[in-house]
Amino acid sequence: MKALEFENIHRAYRRGADVLKGITFSVDAGEVVGLVGKNGAGKTTLIRIAMGMLEAQTGHVRVLGLDPRTDALDMKRRVGYVSEDQILPEFLTVGAVVRLHRALFPTWDDQLERRLRERFELAPRARIKTLSKGQARQVALLCAIAHRPEVLLLDEPAGGLDPAARREFLETSIQLLNEAGSTILFSSHYMTDVERMAGRIVMIHEGCLLLDGALDDLREQYSLALLPRGPVGWHDRLIGLSGCISVREQSDSLHAVFRLEPQQCRSLLQRELHISDARCLSITLDDMFVELVEGRP
Amino acid sequence: MQFHVNPSGELPIYRQIMRQITDAIAGGRVAAGDQLPSHRDLAAQLVIAPLTVKKAYDELEREGLITTQRGRGTYVSESLPVVDAAQRRERLREAAQQLLTQAALSGVPLAEVVRLLKEIQKGMKS
Repeated sequence: MKALEFENIHRAYRRGADVLKGITFSVDAGEVVGLVGKNGAGKTTLIRIAMGMLEAQTGHVRVLGLDPRTDALDMKRRVGYVSEDQILPEFLTVGAVVRLHRALFPTWDDQLERRLRERFELAPRARIKTLSKGQARQVALLCAIAHRPEVLLLDEPAGGLDPAARREFLETSIQLLNEAGSTILFSSHYMTDVERMAGRIVMIHEGCLLLDGALDDLREQYSLALLPRGPVGWHDRLIGLSGCISVREQSDSLHAVFRLEPQQCRSLLQRELHISDARCLSITLDDMFVELVEGRP
Repeated sequence: MQFHVNPSGELPIYRQIMRQITDAIAGGRVAAGDQLPSHRDLAAQLVIAPLTVKKAYDELEREGLITTQRGRGTYVSESLPVVDAAQRRERLREAAQQLLTQAALSGVPLAEVVRLLKEIQKGMKS
């Protein structure tokens, strides 16, 4: 069974302004998927649909085989969720928020809760409103994982945190992966965090799926070619080459992404366009993101 | 042995781990029969996904450099495989090319490079 299934998901907040335009992908149990895209690409909407906080207007979503709208309780007991703009009740203490969650989840692990509380140095009597942003996120993370969820949905979980808090967050997530092998779908703008955590990347842009693949394949089977701008029409000729997935003009050069290893890319350019001074490099996730999102086929 | 990874480095993380282990074997910093950390421990230590370390270990095992004994751990192989001679030469050529480029840019003459290599080799043995 798939841990997560999105099939042809459409969602608009008002008529004519589509946020998601037919997203389809699924996630196997135990996979860690990094969801990347610009602000406004639709990442948050997609995660909220999986959580049952929003409804897809068309399409079909399943979490652990359950419908997040009609099987909400069963589903939520097996899922953990943290988001950047999650709001915890300000006037409650840390202890009270944790107790509330403990009561909701039959699989709550007291030992794990204690371990996380000690690790995060959270004082049970501290009121939520007195916590720093990082500490509040740690409370949210504790509440999201102490019941050992089978699926973890993280919406920009490290957003707004300092590097030390981000690292702490990653360490905790990796510990959970080590112990439980949970399935994780997380959105992030920090590509280095994505590289550390994810085995697979799903990139969305303007509500459409732009790229879906194993991270290592993206790093090893794609390349970035840097060329002088050349005569008019090169842009189209590059796009016409098999394996070329995007071209972007950048001051006086052209950047093209190919689904080819750098060596193959170099010989293709030489053979087809007689370009011998192209620089063909393996591509980092950061570059891939900018090239695909800013450059268009 | 000490590991370090750079997520935005040129090589994917699993390749970085593979390289560090092969370098350590080649340099004699780990010996046949030495135990490596479990893939989960190394993942926690490096703050990377456990499957990434597992992939590096699986690849090294396929190449015959390490062996995993179920329930006991992962060890450097007792008998290291002989790498295909042509392939080995090609890898060495690439590394030498880089080294010589660097030397030329820094204005270091060849004789000096050779001396440096000998000095490093001495260091690797001790």
